[in-house]
Amino acid sequence: MAIIRGCNLPEDLFYYPEKHLWLKPLGGNLFRVGLTPMAGKLSGGKLNAVTIRSKNIGNEVQQGKSLATLESSKYVGPVPAPITGIVRSVNERLASEPNLVISDPYGEGWVVEMEATRWEEEKAALLTGPEGLAEYQKKLEAAGISCD
Amino acid sequence: MADDKILIIMTSGPDTPRRCATPFFFATLATAMDYEVTMFFTIDGTLLLKKGLAETVFPREGGKSVGEFLREAIESGVKMTACTASLELHGLTPDDLIPEARLVGGASMWQMAEESKTVLTF
Repeated sequence: MAIIRGCNLPEDLFYYPEKHLWLKPLGGNLFRVGLTPMAGKLSGGKLNAVTIRSKNIGNEVQQGKSLATLESSKYVGPVPAPITGIVRSVNERLASEPNLVISDPYGEGWVVEMEATRWEEEKAALLTGPEGLAEYQKKLEAAGISCD
Repeated sequence: MADDKILIIMTSGPDTPRRCATPFFFATLATAMDYEVTMFFTIDGTLLLKKGLAETVFPREGGKSVGEFLREAIESGVKMTACTASLELHGLTPDDLIPEARLVGGASMWQMAEESKTVLTF
């Protein structure tokens, strides 16, 4: 576990820094996807809704296309797909408890599980390990983002 | 590449502040879902595109101004179009509107409606 600019960022995850998403390998080509604490900070700390697009379930979503949306009183925006893949399952609890994304970002607040279909091509763009986190830190510093 | 088009027709204006935030919020949300969104302002809605006016309209006391909702929608990629005839209604000229507003005739509204998967009116 690493604390970077006040944010807990486990070293064993992959990160999609543009939209502060994490990916956890679950074996095979399956990945669990969620949001880092930075996303919670940027959305004002309290989410009113997290809605996963129903048409995505069971279908392939291209990297960068909208997987889900976040709504808070301060922010509305997309959760883009960090990789191209088929959405295999969604966190049903978020429908009634959207704030789990912020209160337990790496646990009960995960968003979807995806089966990667272009992992070998796309993994180079993701950040992971100590080197990846150092790069993520630079991006956060450049953007002036912190969890403090 | 957007999935589908959505048209939001905005007729409400500064006289009804509580009707002026949600349309922008819904528009921004639709862009987050990869829709291509156009807002068409007519009747009193056009006034919200007058330079500086939306910043003075508050749907909730102490909350965000309509100008902030408008700016978020523009930044998310929502296209803003205004009805030319409604300018006359309010004695406005094209230069009175924010630069992001594109003036179109009524027939363009019908064409946009025809091309859109969903049309909402506020």
